Amino acid sequence: MNAITHPARPFGAKPRKIPGSLAIWAAILAEMSEFAVMFIVYFLAKVHNPEIFAEGPLKLNTTAGTVNTLIMLTSSFFVVRGVIALRNNNSVACSRWLWGAVICGGSYLVIKYFEYRWNTAQGLETETNIFYGVYYYITFNHFLHVGWGSAAIVWVIYRVNTGIYTKNEHEGLLNIAVYWHMIDLAWITIFPLLYVIR
Amino acid sequence: MKISINKKMTHIQLINTFWVILISLTLFSAYMAEQAKPGLTSILIMSLVLAIKGRIIVDHFMELKDAHVVLRTLMRVYFYVIPTLIILVYLFPEQIVKWTVL
Repeated sequence: MNAITHPARPFGAKPRKIPGSLAIWAAILAEMSEFAVMFIVYFLAKVHNPEIFAEGPLKLNTTAGTVNTLIMLTSSFFVVRGVIALRNNNSVACSRWLWGAVICGGSYLVIKYFEYRWNTAQGLETETNIFYGVYYYITFNHFLHVGWGSAAIVWVIYRVNTGIYTKNEHEGLLNIAVYWHMIDLAWITIFPLLYVIR
Repeated sequence: MKISINKKMTHIQLINTFWVILISLTLFSAYMAEQAKPGLTSILIMSLVLAIKGRIIVDHFMELKDAHVVLRTLMRVYFYVIPTLIILVYLFPEQIVKWTVL
């Protein structure tokens, strides 16, 4: 069974494949590095301001953070199912799964907008203290990624519906899929750092 | 053909299972955020949860498990380093402050 799912690579064979194009992976690694810098800023600010960072998450809306995490994970799941559907030559199902991901992306943005409004009503703004400064900087950066990522999925749906992507040729779909998963990875890191760990 | 269909079903079932695991881990994290007292145990659990979630998405959603070794390693290492930093920041905050004062 293992021999079927993970065949050994013969000596001298070409390296294993890259999901999507090399260009999108350059972009993904650059974006992951950008988020890594933000996380390092968070860690440094945390050790220098332990009391502020211990109290900060308590005032945030954990429910909004949790729901958005569930939404992001579900959107990634929908994207994977969309890719599988196209590989099975079912572009209609692929399109439906991808629309599910777009709805998730839109829902994330709406919830985040109301979370920001709720924060403001509680007096939690960028100037309140360094924790909220870091919180707004990281989460708004991620907010923008979800926005343009959702728009990119809509573009991919158009190309699926017009038959540009097929069972055998859909590198553009894979590019947006792995990029969207990167946005998901960033959020699953942000969620414990800002909402859970004190 | 029969083998091919079975393999497809297995892949979809695997992805469905990973989604359920990811959702369960997130709900567990939220429960920890509301109920657990801050401490080393909760930090270790949170770090482990993050590492597991990251690994599932990298390996199975991004499909890097059988992809190019450099890409796979870079993405996997990210989710070893961040959870480790969370633990180190909790265990040695004063030492890190000493190293990072200008």
